[in-house]
Amino acid sequence: MISPLSNPPLFHLGPLPVPESVVATWGIMLLLAGGGAMLTRGLRLAPSRTQAALELIVSTVDSQIRDTMRVEPGPYRAFIGTLFVFIFAANWSALLPGVEPPTAHLETDAALALLVFLAVIWFGVRAGGVRGYLASFAFPNPIMIPLNFIETLTRTFSLLVRLFGNVMSGVFVIGIVLSLAGLLIPIPLMALDLLTGAVQAYIFAVLAMVFIAGAVAEAKPETPSTKAPP
Amino acid sequence: MSIDWAALGLQALNVLILVWLLARFFWRPVAGVIEQRRAAAQALLDDAGAKNEAAKAALAEVTATRAGFAQEREALLAQAQAQAAAARTTLLAAAAQEAEALRREARAAMQTEQAAAAQAWRARASRLAVDIAARLAARLQGEAVQAAFLEFLLREIQALPPAARQAAALEAVSATEIPAAAQPDITARISAALGATPRISFITEPALIAGLELRGPHLRISNSWRADLDSIEQDLTHDG
Repeated sequence: MISPLSNPPLFHLGPLPVPESVVATWGIMLLLAGGGAMLTRGLRLAPSRTQAALELIVSTVDSQIRDTMRVEPGPYRAFIGTLFVFIFAANWSALLPGVEPPTAHLETDAALALLVFLAVIWFGVRAGGVRGYLASFAFPNPIMIPLNFIETLTRTFSLLVRLFGNVMSGVFVIGIVLSLAGLLIPIPLMALDLLTGAVQAYIFAVLAMVFIAGAVAEAKPETPSTKAPP
Repeated sequence: MSIDWAALGLQALNVLILVWLLARFFWRPVAGVIEQRRAAAQALLDDAGAKNEAAKAALAEVTATRAGFAQEREALLAQAQAQAAAARTTLLAAAAQEAEALRREARAAMQTEQAAAAQAWRARASRLAVDIAARLAARLQGEAVQAAFLEFLLREIQALPPAARQAAALEAVSATEIPAAAQPDITARISAALGATPRISFITEPALIAGLELRGPHLRISNSWRADLDSIEQDLTHDG
């Protein structure tokens, strides 16, 4: 059995090795971007069923951003929504035969956690400037600077480990069960894995919102700050 | 376990590109159409609100207009009452004037009738007085009366201007027939008074009651009870 932790390259793009997770990510990107562009070509004020479903997705994302971040969703919708949709699609890509979810590999999850880490800095600096963002590390007093800095790194690491652990473990367990038992035995585990994938996508997006909202709130001196959970 | 940093970088780049692609082709268009619908709904609500306000304003205007109608009705009623009162006053004044005119006309007619009656009664009384006087005078017949009337006649002739005394033929009219024996004397005295010798014929008219008159083509001397009574009666009638 191939270790789920391994990520062997399928081919090389010049000097860069291109593993299977990257190719799967390209497929997911093509599917999502192409599908989005195709479905949003004929948008009208009087919506069709498809448009209503698309608007339901956008409205739900907006509602989650409003409820979680207490801000207008416009600047954050694309990043948060894309994180959720991509992780959801990546987790559920396990349904396709022969496709291993990109999120079951450490590099993809690390890339997502890295983007969230950078997004927290970006939105924090945009809300309060560099000085305001750096000053947020001294909240509630300068003694907390080392702890806040470590917290920023560890919560990013926790994002990475949480998503990777849940998705990888699901794939790992299904692989073990499939190697030991018959063909139909892994199906309940696969269903459970789908549920786990959806929940993990939601958790990842919500935590990204919480981290960004914390940075934005603490970077604004006049705004009452709400300490983000670790 | 080792991390493939190239794969990590590629995946990060992939997700960033996916964020941009979905923002460009999915999130922004769908959010845009939601915003457009919200704006359209808001515009409809604003329009409905504006129309509602307009309807309220129109209702208030109608209410004010209806109140104006009531005021105008009251004003018209007051004007009609004033016009009726003025017309009544005018009619009463005209009726009073007409009644006054009728009263004046009636009074004038009554006065005229009274005057006419008085005149009639006066004339009747005059005639009655003259008749009484004529009956009384009729009893005064005799030579003395005849001689007195002859003297009156002669004085009247002498009072005439000379030109009026010229006549070729005259009539001497008496109430009773003058005896033929006395006629030459009377003729002579009249001729003497006239200063001429006209031919005088004697005529009898009982209506004279008593007296002697002289009548010619251009001369008439009334000298009898009848002439005096007529003169008195005329004076009495006219004096009234």
